[in-house]
Amino acid sequence: MMRQSSPIDPSLRPWAERIEALARSAGLDFFDVVFEMVDPSQVNALAAYGGFPVRYPSWRFGMEYERMEKGRQWGLSKIYELVINTDPTYAYLVRSNSMMEQKLVMAHVFGHADFFKHNAWFKPTDRGMLDRMAHHGSRIRRFVDAYGQETVDRFLDQAISLDNLIDPFLPARELARSADGLRPQGEAPRERSFSSLELHRGAGFKLPSYDVLGHLAENAPLEPWQRELLRIVRAEAYYFVPQRMTKIMNEGWASFWHSRMLTHGLLETDEIVDFADCHSGATAAVPGQLNPYKLGIELFRYAEEKGMDLFKLRQVHNDTSFIDALVDEEFAERCSLFVYDRNPKSGALEVAERGWVEVKRRLLQGLSWGGTPRIELLDDDYEGRGELLLKHQFEGRELDLSEAGEVLKNLARLWRRPVHLLTTEREESRLVTSDGAEVSAAPAGEIESSEAA
Amino acid sequence: MFRIERDRARFREIVRGRLRRDLRSFLSSSELLGRRGEETVSIPVTQIETPRFKYGDNSEGGVGQGPGEAGEPLEADESQGDAAGGAGEQEGHHILEVDVDLAELADMLGEELELPNIEPRGDRMLTSNGGSYSGIRRVGPKSLRHFRRTYRQALKRTIASGEWDPRRPSVIPTAEDERIRCVKEQPKPESSAVVFHIMDVSGSMGREQKEIVRIKAFWIDTWLRKQYDNLEVVYVVHDAVAKIVDQETFFHLRESGGTKISSAYDTCLSEILERYRPEEWNIYPFHYSDGDNWSARDTERCIAVLRDEILPRVNQFCYGQVKSAYGSGQFKKDLDSALPDEEGLVTWAVEDRDGIPDAIRAFLGKGR
Repeated sequence: MMRQSSPIDPSLRPWAERIEALARSAGLDFFDVVFEMVDPSQVNALAAYGGFPVRYPSWRFGMEYERMEKGRQWGLSKIYELVINTDPTYAYLVRSNSMMEQKLVMAHVFGHADFFKHNAWFKPTDRGMLDRMAHHGSRIRRFVDAYGQETVDRFLDQAISLDNLIDPFLPARELARSADGLRPQGEAPRERSFSSLELHRGAGFKLPSYDVLGHLAENAPLEPWQRELLRIVRAEAYYFVPQRMTKIMNEGWASFWHSRMLTHGLLETDEIVDFADCHSGATAAVPGQLNPYKLGIELFRYAEEKGMDLFKLRQVHNDTSFIDALVDEEFAERCSLFVYDRNPKSGALEVAERGWVEVKRRLLQGLSWGGTPRIELLDDDYEGRGELLLKHQFEGRELDLSEAGEVLKNLARLWRRPVHLLTTEREESRLVTSDGAEVSAAPAGEIESSEAA
Repeated sequence: MFRIERDRARFREIVRGRLRRDLRSFLSSSELLGRRGEETVSIPVTQIETPRFKYGDNSEGGVGQGPGEAGEPLEADESQGDAAGGAGEQEGHHILEVDVDLAELADMLGEELELPNIEPRGDRMLTSNGGSYSGIRRVGPKSLRHFRRTYRQALKRTIASGEWDPRRPSVIPTAEDERIRCVKEQPKPESSAVVFHIMDVSGSMGREQKEIVRIKAFWIDTWLRKQYDNLEVVYVVHDAVAKIVDQETFFHLRESGGTKISSAYDTCLSEILERYRPEEWNIYPFHYSDGDNWSARDTERCIAVLRDEILPRVNQFCYGQVKSAYGSGQFKKDLDSALPDEEGLVTWAVEDRDGIPDAIRAFLGKGR
């Protein structure tokens, strides 16, 4: 499988051991970490596959790769490392990194590895995902052989367009439920715990639900191969959910530890300036963007200063709850956080204000539900016609309606009946409907009121 | 990563499919013009992203970090942060571009407009400089020695001279046995073509008119480049006088003044006579104008030059008339009535950008 990667360089091995020992003595705890060496274009290929070179064939991965390769060739972006949430934890080091960069990256990797193992949101993920992805890959290849690339691609395109219609909190909830009373206290549930999700199959599907994809996979009128494919897409989407929900924490935690470890005896004197440059580059505040590395490391440093238990924090929080717990006036001011908006007159993005309450509100708004709109399936037999009714839980940000229309078309094609979406546009409630070919929108006053009743 | 190459190939195939589907819209837009390299053109890929529920434009804004008072615009440039140090994960929203071979683009054009391939005039054989090492001679550099032929020659000589001893078979080549590879020149048919893009740049030709000319010229070049191994393009602009210019000037120049079309035809003719002799070149003059000429006398002169001098020497002469706010469009009428039966003359009037595909088909559809 890892044909083109090679085991860690002999010159790096002693450093890997030393950094691992240092990480353990600092209190980090992780599955075995396996370092592999790859070329810059290979790491791009790996990243395009979301870290899993064994994944199913898709033009989408090829497009991602094309994009990253262009970025690399033009010198716009560079990937230093890639860590996969598996047991053992695979980490890819790029051969072209300098010695200092490799040390930094290895220290960073141990931070991620610890986070993967201990953060509550990663608990339900399948640590044997490598095998599972390979299995998915071979299933989909078989579908391609049987039904043709075009047919499978067309269905996959529809399925992928729905892959954020899941409930990011479902795996953790299911895990907690299955762990309740079943296991002796203190013992973590073992491997394959992700499969608890599959309990959902069959008739026991309750509406309303955010797991729209799950509902479709079980109840839409599909061919057997289409059903299996939809389950695959759903399982992979759930696997990647925690990464989205903990981006700031995960990067912050890893950066916090690489910075701490490297400045405590791992650097040669002639590497210090390069380290400072590299570290400050990774944690730079780019105007108009929120750098997760920067915000994350600041949050952990702030927590440390306040005497909080960092290990506990990294265990129980996701980005939303972490920011909710930590961001206050002092923090917002210290980090020069501000809210920006587009000025309707000039059309330019402008600093709107620096009040910490608003800053915090907007931060949380941007991160809630993994940064995607919250879409709930209310009914699968809307007005007795077997049609789907979804609702966008409006929290102040409007949907991109033209894209939403395309998604609804895909949804209607899968469901083979019209689908409806309740959303809010310019403070008016709207019902967007698609039958798979056309999309129409109408004011939705009555529906909302009947909903309330 | 062997698999990723397959996925990438599949992606590119899909892009080509999209391009083929949307070719019509590219035909009348200037989007591709600035994107042409030597061999490829880079196509912006839009609309290929998978649609998902996401927040719209009116939800822009968010939280940032850094200095600045309320009301201060955000700095878009990244001078403050060393972007190179950041992780590669945060890609921006730039549009992806994919390179497509010009030849492939020409094929798509041909398919879309049902253009026939061009039969080059005559079948001139040209000795090309290439050739292959398929010849044999007796002298030459040792590094090119044909081992088998040399030893076969030595063996023949050894046997013929009676020195062959089957019990001690040894063959030693002498200088006469040496057989050396050499380049064998192969005459191969070669087709060359020259395109004249002649544009009226008098005051009445506006920005949009020039843009239409530009788009047409792009597609015509793309097609002819596919048909001929060797394509040269000559750009001529004229108002009251004509001159040869480079590509950059051709597309950006704005002259004003009167129009004397005959000046351009004279220039074209003298180029043909001096540099692009019809025995060696397939010749395609394209003339774009809004149809206003200085005087009826000059138009007469144009017709005479065209009929007597230019048309007998070229594959096809195309006159594309672009509608402008000021142009009368008289020139096309004059040409059509004076030269109704000339096979090698194609005239076509274009109202606006939407007429470009039809004009291209009219010009290239005869396969001449």
